[in-house]
Amino acid sequence: MTTDVINLTLKDQFRVLGRLLKYTLPFKGILALAFTMLIISTVMGVMTPYLVMIFIDDYLTPSIFPEEDIMWLIIAFITVNVVAVLTTYWQIYLLQVLAFKVIQQLRIDAFQKIGKLGMTYFDKVPSGSVVSRLTNDTQAIVDMFTSVLGTFLMAIFMVISSFVMMFILDVKLAFITLIFMPVIIFILLVYRKYSARYFSHARGLLSDMNAKLSESIEGMKIIQVFNQEKRLQREFEVINEEHYQYNLRTIKLDGLLLRPAIDMIYILSIVVILSYFGFLSFETSVTAGVIFAFIQYMERFFEPINQVSQNLNIFQQALVAASRVFTLLDDDRHEPAQIIKKEYKITDGQVEFKNVTFSYDGNVDVLKNISFKVLPGTTTALVGHTGSGKSSIINLMMRFYEYEHGEILIDGHSIKELPKEEMKNNIGLVLQDPFIFYGTLTSNIKLYHSTMTFEMVRSAADFVGADSFINKLKNRYEQKVVEKGADFSSGERQLLAFARTMATNPKILILDEATANIDSSTEEKIQASLMKMRSGRTTLAIAHRLSTIQDADEILVLNKGEIVERGTHDELVQLKGIYYKMYRLQNSKQ
Amino acid sequence: MRVFKNLGWFFKLEKKSYIIGLVMLVLVALMELVPPQVIGRVIDQITTETLTSNTLILFGVMLVFVAILTYIFRFFWRVMIFGASNRLGRTLRERLFKKYSVMSPAFFGKRRTGDLMAHATNDINAVQMTAGAGILTIADSVITGGAVLITMALTVSPKLTLIAMIPLPFMVILTSWYGSILSRLFRVAQAAFSSLNDKTQESIAGIKVTKTFGYEDEDLKDFTNLSDDVVKKNLKVAKIDALFDPTITAIIAISYFLSIFFGARMVVADEITLGQLVTFTTYLGMMVWPLLALGWFFNLIERGKASYDRIEEIMNTKSDIGTNVTSDVVPSGDITFNVSEFSFPGEAEVSLRDIHFTLKEGKTLGIVGRTGSGKSSIIRLLLREFDTDADNTVAVNGVDIKQADIKNLRQLFGYVPQDNFLFSTTIRNNIAFTNPDINIEKIYRAAELSYIHQDITAFPAGYDTIVGERGVSLSGGQKQRISIARALIENPEVLILDDSLSAVDAETETAILNNIEQNRRGKTNIITAHRMSAVRDADLILVMEDGRIIERGNHASLTKAKGWYYETFKTQSLRQSLSKALDETLEGGRADDN
Repeated sequence: MTTDVINLTLKDQFRVLGRLLKYTLPFKGILALAFTMLIISTVMGVMTPYLVMIFIDDYLTPSIFPEEDIMWLIIAFITVNVVAVLTTYWQIYLLQVLAFKVIQQLRIDAFQKIGKLGMTYFDKVPSGSVVSRLTNDTQAIVDMFTSVLGTFLMAIFMVISSFVMMFILDVKLAFITLIFMPVIIFILLVYRKYSARYFSHARGLLSDMNAKLSESIEGMKIIQVFNQEKRLQREFEVINEEHYQYNLRTIKLDGLLLRPAIDMIYILSIVVILSYFGFLSFETSVTAGVIFAFIQYMERFFEPINQVSQNLNIFQQALVAASRVFTLLDDDRHEPAQIIKKEYKITDGQVEFKNVTFSYDGNVDVLKNISFKVLPGTTTALVGHTGSGKSSIINLMMRFYEYEHGEILIDGHSIKELPKEEMKNNIGLVLQDPFIFYGTLTSNIKLYHSTMTFEMVRSAADFVGADSFINKLKNRYEQKVVEKGADFSSGERQLLAFARTMATNPKILILDEATANIDSSTEEKIQASLMKMRSGRTTLAIAHRLSTIQDADEILVLNKGEIVERGTHDELVQLKGIYYKMYRLQNSKQ
Repeated sequence: MRVFKNLGWFFKLEKKSYIIGLVMLVLVALMELVPPQVIGRVIDQITTETLTSNTLILFGVMLVFVAILTYIFRFFWRVMIFGASNRLGRTLRERLFKKYSVMSPAFFGKRRTGDLMAHATNDINAVQMTAGAGILTIADSVITGGAVLITMALTVSPKLTLIAMIPLPFMVILTSWYGSILSRLFRVAQAAFSSLNDKTQESIAGIKVTKTFGYEDEDLKDFTNLSDDVVKKNLKVAKIDALFDPTITAIIAISYFLSIFFGARMVVADEITLGQLVTFTTYLGMMVWPLLALGWFFNLIERGKASYDRIEEIMNTKSDIGTNVTSDVVPSGDITFNVSEFSFPGEAEVSLRDIHFTLKEGKTLGIVGRTGSGKSSIIRLLLREFDTDADNTVAVNGVDIKQADIKNLRQLFGYVPQDNFLFSTTIRNNIAFTNPDINIEKIYRAAELSYIHQDITAFPAGYDTIVGERGVSLSGGQKQRISIARALIENPEVLILDDSLSAVDAETETAILNNIEQNRRGKTNIITAHRMSAVRDADLILVMEDGRIIERGNHASLTKAKGWYYETFKTQSLRQSLSKALDETLEGGRADDN
């Protein structure tokens, strides 16, 4: 089994982080405000020990308490803390706001990108993974911004401010304590190196283990019938044990290098501070307040390091998530572009294929030198087996894929040069598998059309004969649709898809007939409806049931990407070729 | 707290780890008490100018020891307690897996895979957290909190301790109050996120429709609105969430203020020394975490309890398949069905009625009929996916199969399921499912018998090709033939093909059936099918409709009877020859999917 864990190099991590940080630029205001708050709250934070120090050294030790001075000290203490509390709150909140604004923008960018990607992309990438790019991965980035970036920033400010204060208090000692810096950095680097390795391995094992579990649940019947429970249990135990061993290693690593180690260094730093001041006190006077403050600052210096080191893994995960989102944003499998030279209009709706040769992968031609013409208002039907090339013709016609050889013309203009709007407004496609969205029947027919009235929705439904079943529903057109329209029969869903297309009144109709079994009463309705839809419209229809296209003006029989027979139904039956055999085969179905 | 009682068996099992771990925690708590004391004394001795270099060195050495010991103790309690809780996770997972593997199809029918997975992942995690972080938080609150509190009172002043503690309960009250608001807001935010998730899923599934109508921009606007909603609701969470830190800061500042204000008076009154005051304030900072941990603890065990109950519910569910074993031999011989009426548990509809037949050992039984006519129900009863209430309804060699050990009974069968489920491993491992160490020649042989060997060798990785999502996607016919090879490899006494030839073409079907006939002389076969051609050579053919047998006989007698079998056979033969003619014209344009 392979695991889907990505390990980024340090260079990649910086690149991803840089790109993520760029997303904060449009929110300069919030960023600046958050930073200001952060600075104020940090400064206020270091003030408290300083005030206590003044109190201890100037008033408590000599035991003089002038009322006014003490008043001022108390006021200062309260002010500092009130300001610290308020700014801390705003700084945390603003960083969250920033995080969500960034994610919002990232999500919109990613979603917009999906609209621009071509079908080549969706053929290759499973939809589940596209969804998780947009939702789970972006969510992981939120976590990074809120819990990690915030912690990091605060940590940096706290570390710096604590050091500044230490320098103010005692330059020499501050320098001495600096020796702990490289030790800590070394520990964190070692930790990062091993933890990244263990962590990604443990995650990989976890996902393998869960995959094994879920597959075993799904295949339990097979496992049981072949008496393999014991073996599968053993296999599961092996991976369960390995997962445990890795977790144990992580626990040991954390124990060796995280809080226990940092806290040990903290205690050692206290030893250094006490020894320094102790020995200093033999030569000159040392005040209690200074020692107190210094230890306080030392503690403030270590706490953020603990927090940061605990969040390192979240940070790395988020970077991996971000890099996946960026890979999506950088994908260049775009939908075919239109080259607009003139604002051509679709007037008559004549469709022509001229020597079109096409391949999905660049190796195997699925269409070979296809030429045919559909005159305005006539119907051309495409028949053939799966893989014969019928669907590819429609895919090219709809600009789902780009073609390079030959030309497809509407009213004499290449479809590459027709404005997108013009194409969408005049070509109506009815898909084989009518996709039904969440919402109501009205919203499913109307979709996002901005000017369509309810009357238009109703008359489209009426036109295709969908109104009879809609009117039987409790809420009629406002009936809620459950997941993928599961409440409706496949025939009813088909009628809805018809209504959706007819509501836009297209000049050219592309029909991809459903293969699904449809109950015979709905089937009749669908046939009648198709006849009505086709009349007066240029129609290109894929037919699985030959009975539905017997009246077509021309029938093209495709085999392995080539048009092997063409003519009307009667002509083709006379010919006694492939079409005739298909026709007989279908008629044998009682 | 009940969850700890329920987990008693585990704590008993891991007694050593927990005792050592807790002892380590106590030692850590005691060690942590030392530095503030030393700081206070050094300050006092400096201010009173009584400090000597010897004392200073002594203090230094002491603290270095404390530092090293704390490090060691901290390391070991982690390994002990977190190690044990991870072992709990491992054990529970193992038990759950074992439990799943003895449950009957009825159990899986009632539950969704996602829920069963959630027990093994989220629920086990929550229980593991209870046994790890849960124990830690309560121990930390009680041990560290208690030790610090007592030391403050004993070594500095009980009065000052009492004063300094006044604000702290408010911290617990406020933070748990935020917590309860937060969990409500969080649910709302989560709901918004999941509708964004649904929207995304739908947009991608319906991308072709959107592109066809050119509504990409409008769809984006819709997405943006939902995404805005997610942001809005998450910011509501953030508004409360951001309160935690400032609240803690504020309460600690008040407590600090109180202890310095009153502490200073006591210093002036010579009740305590300046050093003691410093010690005291340092201890004060150490009280924060134990108090927060207390709130956390209740949260953890609440979740752990709910999760443990769910796991227990599964562990206590009994399998529907009876274990009334009176015979320990592997059954073999004639198979007799005597079902007067059978309905699946929980279903009112009768699935089988008056099914009486005997299949002699070594003979082939064919069962045909429309979808839902009861063909598979017969197979399911034979495989004991469900037990009948009456006795002797299904018997092998005259012995009720309910009396046999289910493992022995299963040894009798080689089964090819309808859905031809394959595991996401190599083709080799799928075929050699019953015995991964089997001789490779036998694997080849089984693949040849089921007509899949050539397909497999045509893959670049051959028999090592991975099946499923992470590997190649096989056609339905290929999957069926691999499933057949899996069943054939052990040359079972009874081979069951449950509609397993539906996706292979007529010629392959004939070839596979011929292979089976030639290589399984003297062995029993049961074949259910939609195509009459698949059962044509069977010794006994049953035609099913609505759970009853409507025709029975062999091909010759049923043809003579001119009933449903005959009519269907005729139409199917005609269709087959027409379709063959068409395929020839198309130069074999398609292989096996139809």
